[in-house]
Amino acid sequence: MKTLCSLLLILAIFSCSGEEDNTPSAPINDSFDPAEVMATLLREGELIGVGHTVNGTVKVYDDAGTTVVVLDPFSSQNGPDLKVYLSKDANATQYISLGALKSTMGKQSYVLTEMPDLAEYKFVLVWCQEFSVLFGKAELQ
Amino acid sequence: MSKEQISVGAALIIFVFLATPFSVAQTYSRTIKFIDANFAVGDAEGSMALSFNVDKGLGKKKKIVVGVGGRLTSYLGKNQYYETAPARLTSGSTGPQVIFKENIAANIDTFLIKTAQVNSLNVLITLGYNFSEKLMVRFNIDAIGLSFGKNTKGNYINGSRGAIEAASPTTWNALLVSDNDRGSLNSEFFGRYLFNKKWAVKAGIQFHFTEYTTDTQVQQFPEANDRFRNKSLMFTAGLSYKL
Repeated sequence: MKTLCSLLLILAIFSCSGEEDNTPSAPINDSFDPAEVMATLLREGELIGVGHTVNGTVKVYDDAGTTVVVLDPFSSQNGPDLKVYLSKDANATQYISLGALKSTMGKQSYVLTEMPDLAEYKFVLVWCQEFSVLFGKAELQ
Repeated sequence: MSKEQISVGAALIIFVFLATPFSVAQTYSRTIKFIDANFAVGDAEGSMALSFNVDKGLGKKKKIVVGVGGRLTSYLGKNQYYETAPARLTSGSTGPQVIFKENIAANIDTFLIKTAQVNSLNVLITLGYNFSEKLMVRFNIDAIGLSFGKNTKGNYINGSRGAIEAASPTTWNALLVSDNDRGSLNSEFFGRYLFNKKWAVKAGIQFHFTEYTTDTQVQQFPEANDRFRNKSLMFTAGLSYKL
């Protein structure tokens, strides 16, 4: 069975897979200013890489009833299909996707129209969705 | 049987009836037995299949054939998107009329599997046509059987919400109608050419369903569901040995 699996793996690897899209890498500087909109800081955490290079700080704000997750400063190794998850644990066992990572470099914010229970959703993850790989995580305090 | 498989089967039947009046008057063996070994490749996926086929010629000339057999298929896919499987969710009903119904997009969620590996052992049925002793076309489809494979983790995606959940290949396979199908079923439309008395090459297309059942019912809307299906269209080629 191992030989069969290996043969199939080779077959799948060499089959005509599509080109993988990488995340934009041009530095960005999001305009969200918590002082200007008088947003309340709810949680924050430090991003650490997991088998990949990810650095930065995550802050979660309440902006008049909407949740805003801000990565600032932020830098990440590039990869295909990178997403930002607000998750109950570091394994994405249950998560809310904040969308595609806007850039691998620079300040960026993600708006959630709902107010998740941050006592339950305690992690922000940088997650490669296509390959189910965790790039980085921050535990919110 | 999917809408696509029905289309291929219908095309073959029409082709057979159109081709019959122009074919050379010649009769063929009543029963032909083949062992086939073939592989298929698609987009980041592939399969290998080993099958035993017994084909019976019909009518005076034995040009039209029907057959039965058995097939072991092993499928491997990388980062494959599985979708909600049950017809009651995809089409809103479970009868044969689901062939003519549009999918209900709001009911269909995704289960992304990093490494899908499904082995299935099925009884297959065949419909075909012999152009000559050496050249023939066949359409076959798995009808009933079982599947096995490793439990693996996948990413259940429902809009912005998601969860990582474990899943295994659905054990029992059954060919019904369209999304009423259950489990993992392989089908092929191919041409076969005998280059000597025993050996033949075959090439065509393979339409292959694989299905996983999640450990818990991860989908809750509009009702609880744990079955997710992937449909693969692949190029297939291989060798046949005439018994």
